[in-house]
Amino acid sequence: MTLVLTDTQPVPSGLQQWRVLTKRLIAPTLRNGEVVVGVVVSAAATAGLYIPLNRLMERADLQMSSYAQYVVPLIVLQAISFASISTAFRAANDSVQGINRRFQSLPIPSLMPLAARITASVYRCVIGLAVALACGFVIGFRFHRGALSAAAFCLLALLTGLVLALLGDTLGTRSRDPAATAQWLLLPQLIFGFLSVGIQPLQRFPGWLQPIVDHQPISRLVYAMRALAGDSGDQVPPVTWSVIWPALAWLAGITAVAVPWAAAVYRRRS
Amino acid sequence: MSEFDKGVEVEGIGKSFGAVDALRDISFDVARGEVVALLGPNGAGKTTTVEILSTLTRPDRGNARVAGHDVVSDPAMVRRAIMLTGQHVALDEMLTGYENLVMFAQLRGLKAGAARARARELLHEFDLEHAAGRRVGTYSGGMRRRVDIACGLVVRPEVVFLDEPTTGLDPRSRQAIWALVATFKDAGIATLLTTQYLEEADALSDRIIVVDHGSIVAHGTADELKERTGGTVCEIVPRDPADVDAVAAALGPLLPESSRAAITPESDRVSVPAPEGPATLSAALARLDSANIALADIALRRPSLDDVFLSLTGSVASDGEAELIAGEVFS
Repeated sequence: MTLVLTDTQPVPSGLQQWRVLTKRLIAPTLRNGEVVVGVVVSAAATAGLYIPLNRLMERADLQMSSYAQYVVPLIVLQAISFASISTAFRAANDSVQGINRRFQSLPIPSLMPLAARITASVYRCVIGLAVALACGFVIGFRFHRGALSAAAFCLLALLTGLVLALLGDTLGTRSRDPAATAQWLLLPQLIFGFLSVGIQPLQRFPGWLQPIVDHQPISRLVYAMRALAGDSGDQVPPVTWSVIWPALAWLAGITAVAVPWAAAVYRRRS
Repeated sequence: MSEFDKGVEVEGIGKSFGAVDALRDISFDVARGEVVALLGPNGAGKTTTVEILSTLTRPDRGNARVAGHDVVSDPAMVRRAIMLTGQHVALDEMLTGYENLVMFAQLRGLKAGAARARARELLHEFDLEHAAGRRVGTYSGGMRRRVDIACGLVVRPEVVFLDEPTTGLDPRSRQAIWALVATFKDAGIATLLTTQYLEEADALSDRIIVVDHGSIVAHGTADELKERTGGTVCEIVPRDPADVDAVAAALGPLLPESSRAAITPESDRVSVPAPEGPATLSAALARLDSANIALADIALRRPSLDDVFLSLTGSVASDGEAELIAGEVFS
């Protein structure tokens, strides 16, 4: 018999499949420039927000020691949401290219490709977070409340990335249009990013908008992350449950909506 | 190797999408080492059948077993036994051909070293070594299809589904896929292929199932199907097309009225039913000889699958419409 056919009929391993499917998503990012773009985007977001706005913001208004300390949580969240846009783009690509269909015909547990895409998204978030923090360090951002709080800061950012990745993946899988998906996702990123307390204090927004700005998820995440990072002075509120829970509640709320939607989208394909 | 008699057993499966019956009551089987072609026009239900058998879609009715495993109750075991090549190539366009092969080999359970070795082996077998390091996104259509199929052969399949495997391919890639089907057959693998090409069904398959509007309209070997459309004809082509009428006149009683009526001013040949085969041919030849008509060609021709296909699906389509109209009248 020719070598076209083999006699091998191995038993597939779930762990190996998860690793291979994750690697498939990560390997190209190192050579197609995705990682470089991610680094540049984080750096550009830092420069683009900090340089023009730094001189406009009055310290008294900010109630913090520097605009760097003030704006870095938003820069981190922007980097995280860029990562989720990449996730949505990849998910839409997989749907269009038909490789999802092929995975379904292989002996792979049905949620394994999704798990791998989410893992790859966490990897993107880690890169985005690291670059954003490095840029923050350059402009003067520091953690003031110890290693545990700094770790909680990073964890909250990655948790946000996880929730956004699930949302982005579902959206991409459903839309099957990579370019349109990526463009549509820029819209909420811009709106929630710029209409948040991450960029300027609440009292600088028009009165009628303030309740929305104050309570929207990005603002609530920023409040929590600011508390976790602390400041050189003592004007930043301490890490208390009342600062942290609204951020976690938003994440839990978005997850509660995203999971059933994701389940419906992934099931519909069978 | 698992024990089972039939590669594919299908009993009365049906599938509806909304009010549309994509499949109604389809039954057939494919033995090991047998090649069966599902032949039909676009939308006949070929792809839906393959999707049900490869566990991508659940049937609404009926049972189907692949390599001895039920497609609904035991999809995991079905997936381990099959290879599916769809109408559209499904590869990771961002990865190279080699990386795709290694990935699929590892997904199927080969360890990293074995997966790399198998990938190199398949690149060689499919004549793709020169392109191994390039992204699949840069490949030509024929090369993509070859990688796609190679990715399905990283482990040994028991049952192979080829959904229109040669659609849009160049002749050389097509030949390669035809040769591959012969390899499957020799290796005792059950192969179900769908095609719109009659010559492909004729050349590759042991049996042909003609489907149209979600139902099986005919079933048999290529010879049996050809037999069904009517027997052999003797085809006479005069050297000068203007002599067609003279040919018809010279044939006299050999040419029945119906065949005579089929001759149009555009005809360049005359077809004579030849129930007695060579005897009919020599009788026709003698008559044309004495009428002194110069011929370009005279030959016995069995009906082509095209003839079969048109007569089968054409008539079914019109029956279907007639039923619908009747339904409207009585409702």
